[in-house]
Amino acid sequence: MREKINLRSLTRRRVLAATSVLAAAALLLMGAPGPAHSAEPRNGGSIIFLIDSLGNTWIPNNSAISSFQGHIWGHVTDKLVYVDADGKVSPWIAERWEQNDAATEFTLHLKPGVTFSDGTPLDAAAVVANLDIWYAGRKGEGINPIGLFPKTYERAEAVDPQTVKVFFKAPTLGFIPTLGYHGSILISPKTLAQPAAHQADLGKTSGSGPYVVEAWKEGDFVRLAKRKDYNWGPPAVGHTGPAFLHTITYKLVSEPSLRVAAVQSGQADVAYSPSPQELKSLKAEGFTISTPRYLGFVNGLAINTKQAPYDDPKVRQALQAGINRQEIIDTVYTPDWKLATSFIQSNVPGATDHSALLAYDPEKAGKLLDAAGWTKGADGIRIKDGKPLTLTLHSNPYLATSKAIDELIAQQLGRLGWKVTIRAFDVATFGEKVRFARPGVPAYEVTRSFIDAGTVASILTNANNGENWFALDESDPTINALRDKISGAASLDIRTPLLDELQKYVLEQGYFIPRTQIVQRIYVQSPKVKGETYNGIAYASYYTAFKGE
Amino acid sequence: MRNAYLTYAARRIAQAVAVVLLAYVFTFVVVSILPGDPVSTILHDPQNGFTDEEIREIIAAQGLDQPIAVQLWTALSHFVTGNLGLSMRSGRPVATLLAEVLPSTLILASAGFAVALLLAAVIAYGTQFLPARFGQGLLRGFPSLFLSVPNFVIGLVLIHAFGFQLGLFRVIEPNSFWATLFAALALGIPISAQIAEVLIANLDHEARQEYAAVARSRGLGQVGLFVKHLLKPSSLPVVTVIALTIGELLGGSLITETVFGRTGVGSLVQRSVTTQDLPVLQTVVSLAAVVFVGVNLLADLVYPLLDPRVTLVGSGRSRQAGAEDPATQTTEAVTA
Repeated sequence: MREKINLRSLTRRRVLAATSVLAAAALLLMGAPGPAHSAEPRNGGSIIFLIDSLGNTWIPNNSAISSFQGHIWGHVTDKLVYVDADGKVSPWIAERWEQNDAATEFTLHLKPGVTFSDGTPLDAAAVVANLDIWYAGRKGEGINPIGLFPKTYERAEAVDPQTVKVFFKAPTLGFIPTLGYHGSILISPKTLAQPAAHQADLGKTSGSGPYVVEAWKEGDFVRLAKRKDYNWGPPAVGHTGPAFLHTITYKLVSEPSLRVAAVQSGQADVAYSPSPQELKSLKAEGFTISTPRYLGFVNGLAINTKQAPYDDPKVRQALQAGINRQEIIDTVYTPDWKLATSFIQSNVPGATDHSALLAYDPEKAGKLLDAAGWTKGADGIRIKDGKPLTLTLHSNPYLATSKAIDELIAQQLGRLGWKVTIRAFDVATFGEKVRFARPGVPAYEVTRSFIDAGTVASILTNANNGENWFALDESDPTINALRDKISGAASLDIRTPLLDELQKYVLEQGYFIPRTQIVQRIYVQSPKVKGETYNGIAYASYYTAFKGE
Repeated sequence: MRNAYLTYAARRIAQAVAVVLLAYVFTFVVVSILPGDPVSTILHDPQNGFTDEEIREIIAAQGLDQPIAVQLWTALSHFVTGNLGLSMRSGRPVATLLAEVLPSTLILASAGFAVALLLAAVIAYGTQFLPARFGQGLLRGFPSLFLSVPNFVIGLVLIHAFGFQLGLFRVIEPNSFWATLFAALALGIPISAQIAEVLIANLDHEARQEYAAVARSRGLGQVGLFVKHLLKPSSLPVVTVIALTIGELLGGSLITETVFGRTGVGSLVQRSVTTQDLPVLQTVVSLAAVVFVGVNLLADLVYPLLDPRVTLVGSGRSRQAGAEDPATQTTEAVTA
């Protein structure tokens, strides 16, 4: 506690000092003519990106989905397709593709002339090697499969050096979008053939991306240098040749206020994960703040319908109406955060607007609870059959603001007669004790990205290796029928209305209680850096970026 | 005498080995009984989307579901034969990880140690000869102040003042000369306090002795008196304190490295503790035990050789109390 106070006062002083420096800088800049924004990309220069962690292992399969290492992989490797911030899929290493009517067979046509940095060609055989290891991993060796890769995968074969045919056991409409997911990074087959301990050395891993690892030290930094012969960038970002910036250094600084202060004082160019409360003043100082949203579920609660009293739809619906989501944004976040409109983020293709179902209506919530037999006792807590109305929230350790939101929700629900208990665990204990639909866990707090909304229905239910988020098993034929129709849909025209129906149903039933749309990656950037792009998983790519004067 | 010394040395060395092995086993047990391990922590990350069944399968494939006793036996037999194993977190050899971080920590620890010694000597000297009106009392308060301000606060203040305000070093280059110097200051200041306290107490004692008065009356200046007569007899107990501060250096380097963003043994431990990376933790704890036990062993073994008044009593286990009694030392110093 004492530490926090010290940090805070230090930060304030630092902000004051930095503000005066910046004010002087701003005066100088105002005198300089020429619009900075329309500047042409300029070759050369380097940037320093300060990050709070560089994750655990560098074994590609085990680290590709990490919130931290994804930044490096995004520059060192390419993907078969590109998915932009709106979920639009476009060609990258796969120039084009076809599928059969049943969506069980896909043919990928690869861009010719692409090579990995170790000289190996990125051809059909290399793609097959990657698909195989994404699906299966090498578990005994400690190389995990990619968790969200379609479990329906059967095999892939190289038809000719530029053509790959992929076979699935069941319709898998989500296959192509999944190729743009952060788990699907293309690695040289030579690296993939190496044992895990060798793959764990980032410096020995070869990708085909616009940058190569020039130097790295575990827990310290990763320095990337541009690959001069790179010529196969995704057309969707408007540039396909070599990168502009010569080097990008990802440097680990674990203290958030130090990261921000280093950018303020000009010692670094980008600070990752500042605290949301600092954003307003940073914006006022002229820094570029980016809060891109990933494609995925919104941040919210998956309700365990086996846990009383949440087996009663009225109680779940009261919960849905009893949360004031605008207050969460006003109190914990800034206007950069958006209200949830469904249980999936509004930028996901197929997401539909169900804001009406998520309106704050304490009166309605109270009536629902009354109707369900929960009456207010003397201390303001509702009681039924002698038992109080309780809710235990397990704050998600993967989201820094989670506990603050839980506290706010506890106040909001407390006014309605709920007795809310908040439990906060560290990452290890949380992973061990708190799972979807586990007894004693009435609500699991979701932070999860996905690329294709088609996979959602399966995740929510128990079929196809699904996670059975709401512990419904076979008890709700409506949601299971929707799931079967969605996973069997061979075209988007059939699938989109079904998805809309699913979203409405899940929210109406109070199975999923959204909190806000999630922003998991926040960037504070020097105004000198321009032209970066954000993809569908909210990673900043500096492939297209350059440094202005 | 010689035989007794050899028995004494052999016994102390055997004890030291036992302590190191016990530290290894203790770390294993403590970390094992905590919930989770780095592998399942990664697997449980909601972004992965693994089902419970898949997680069980992957964990079993790596032998992490074996009973603790079996895992301990495997680890211990590897450790004794010099095989430190692979880090569970990063998958890289523990020996490589350690070799990467050790130089940086050694530099920081030695610099911090040098800072501590220098500061302690300066403060101690000042308390003896600075006139009261120039703040001798204030100087005497320094050790208590240094001890009570946490290491990380000193670090943050130094970073703020010299890194951001004066721009003497860049936070993102923690291994530069100036950054290392200030990290060494943050590390050395609290340690200097302990050395200074013991030194001041002994200097006070020595300065009141007759021999000091005699030396002064013969016209010896303050610096000469301090260096020639007072420092040596006051330093013997300091040797014991120094041996103990090695532990502080190891512990303090963890915090200092984190605050200054240096990569070293401290930051390796920090990462390994948060992810429960057992093979790395065991190696580092064993290494720390080796260093700590080694330094104290050295002090124990050297004491009887340096000071003839330290006799090996009985089975040769303990030092005679006389060595630490300043009164005996004074007589010795006067005759010398």
